[in-house]
Amino acid sequence: MQRLPKPGDIALIAALLLPLAVALPRLGGLGGPPELWLTWVGRVTGILALSMMLLAGLMSCRVPGFDRPFGGLARLWRLHHWLGFAAFILVMVHVLALGLASVPASLAAAVATLFPSPVQGAIWLGWLAWLAMVVFLAPTFGFFGKPYYQRWKRLHLVSAAALLLGLWHALLLAGETWPWWLLGIAGLGAIAWRKGMAPQRRHAYRIEQVAPLARGVVELVLRPEGSGIRHEAGQFVYLSPLDETLSAGRGEEHPYTIASSPSDMQLRIGIKELGDASRALQSVTPGTRVLIEGPYGEFFGRRFPKRDMLWLGGGIGITPFVGGARDLAAGGGIAGHAHLFYLANGPDRAYYQKELEGIAEAHQSFSFTQHYSRERGRLDEAFLRHHCPDYAEREIYICGPPGMNQHLLRLLADQGIPAARIHSEVFDFL
Amino acid sequence: MNKVAYTAFIAFLASILTLLSAHVLSQPGEERSHDDLDPITLDELAEHGSAESCWKAIHGRVYDITDYVPNHPTEEEVLLEWCGRESTEGWDNKRPGVAHSPRAEAMLERYLIGRLVDDSGEPVEPEPGEPAAAMPESQAKQATSPAQDERLARALLGLPLDGHYRGVFTDRGSIQVNITFDLRDGHIESLSYRHLAYRGVDYLALEEGDELYPVMLQHRQIIERLEGAPITRIFALYEPESMVDDIDGYSGATLRGAKVISAIRDALNRGVYAWP
Repeated sequence: MQRLPKPGDIALIAALLLPLAVALPRLGGLGGPPELWLTWVGRVTGILALSMMLLAGLMSCRVPGFDRPFGGLARLWRLHHWLGFAAFILVMVHVLALGLASVPASLAAAVATLFPSPVQGAIWLGWLAWLAMVVFLAPTFGFFGKPYYQRWKRLHLVSAAALLLGLWHALLLAGETWPWWLLGIAGLGAIAWRKGMAPQRRHAYRIEQVAPLARGVVELVLRPEGSGIRHEAGQFVYLSPLDETLSAGRGEEHPYTIASSPSDMQLRIGIKELGDASRALQSVTPGTRVLIEGPYGEFFGRRFPKRDMLWLGGGIGITPFVGGARDLAAGGGIAGHAHLFYLANGPDRAYYQKELEGIAEAHQSFSFTQHYSRERGRLDEAFLRHHCPDYAEREIYICGPPGMNQHLLRLLADQGIPAARIHSEVFDFL
Repeated sequence: MNKVAYTAFIAFLASILTLLSAHVLSQPGEERSHDDLDPITLDELAEHGSAESCWKAIHGRVYDITDYVPNHPTEEEVLLEWCGRESTEGWDNKRPGVAHSPRAEAMLERYLIGRLVDDSGEPVEPEPGEPAAAMPESQAKQATSPAQDERLARALLGLPLDGHYRGVFTDRGSIQVNITFDLRDGHIESLSYRHLAYRGVDYLALEEGDELYPVMLQHRQIIERLEGAPITRIFALYEPESMVDDIDGYSGATLRGAKVISAIRDALNRGVYAWP
């Protein structure tokens, strides 16, 4: 929730405006009669839309570490999502503005501009690009309801065709083509890397143990077969199980938070059944292999190091804090004092609780408070202040189900705590 | 966000469909028949060759685009270059190989003032769509047979055709000699320099008393002495001292006659610039 622009954002804006800046001198001014300014609007929106599409493609590369300058993968996905949305809207403005610009000349000219003779392939390539865009964005924006995740993912690959067609459309029409080559190669290259190269570079792990924590929650203990990944506390990975007896999700990748400390030789991942794939993982066969890609995110990365921390975790959202507490116990990268409030319904849902209490007893830099909503209702300010009097002065990290997040954000905002000091990483749409 | 995207998508489709249906349902306007247009000759067209009055002939029709010139997105010079003449080539090649848009075509029709005709009043270009008119029978009979066609015979033999010629000699990127002449029955007529320069000195601008003025006079003598001569006479310039007088200590031997030969041969290589 940091408001300051990040280094990645600045680079993104620069790349976004590059084709426009190069083309602008050719486009004339915004003034004049409607046909002229509509043409200007049509071209500017077209240029921006294609830049956005290509950059959205670039941002989908998901190279571990590439997400950090953008404030973590979750934020990068949000930027990707917004870029795609804006491009979709701008493309339609682009078409309408250029069509309307011809209306003062005549209605026939307007129609001929948008639907010219087949010889003028450049325009038809533009239409094909738009059509491809509708095909892959309609499920994203739920035009016809929410599709099944894997089906959505396959349809989303049509975006590569949309980029290619859009790029071709622009290369035929643009005065200066080098910015388009630059962004085009970056955007399409990123997709090619994501779909072609990246899957080969995943790290193989073997499942050593499947430890049940509560009903519908397990911790997978994984040992690397080769060189494993290097991560920080609170980061997450994409995990693809290869167990052939799995009822769902075999070979599919889904994001899960790492619960182990970076110094742990094993990779521990807390998994709650939230969908078909995570439900199947509850009974995954020990000894089978999984592929791991990552790490991503920077849950604890933005911390202001001089401040103590308040951790608010609930549900499976406790996992990054378990990773943080274990790191603290191991004397790892997390410094300063951390006070964790574990928000659970009741004792049966408070997995990891014993271990966390143990760490709190052994280490002065870590305090632990359990909160049961079945007994006390939702967490309130009085409870928070009673157990952690200086909570308002701390750097605050939240991770939990959406309802809990909203409740806590409202509670903290009411206390006048600036949003820049509250961090949460939600990857519910990944 | 999803609702906005969906609403925008539907609004977009509705707008495009409205545009299409309005176009299909609207009555096509009365288009002026080609024959009703005022006939305009190439000479009349040529009188309107400037920004003050810019007429252009495009696909056999003449347009007065004077009022539009300031609004055109391209630099004025590019646009004005085509004023007062047949500009179809410029119209069909906004950029090489790229024609103007349908919108530009529709806008152009607003500036229509007439149709292009030759001196006998015949259209210079047939209406688009009309078959490229086969030669009328009467005219075909009059046409010279290939056996009698002098121009064809000269062209087949590689001899220069009669007509108006232009040519240049350039060296290291700058034009030194630009020459123009007519060829009539293989003889040079109306020979003159359009440009004559060397090492930054514009010879045509020299005045009496300037150091190089005599050299300019010698170049003038070349012109005078080639006037009316057969084209083969140009090779005499390989020995300029045989062509020009010595003036103020400049002997003909210092002249670069080869440059003038080169410009004339360039003109011949280019072929006829305009028919006589």
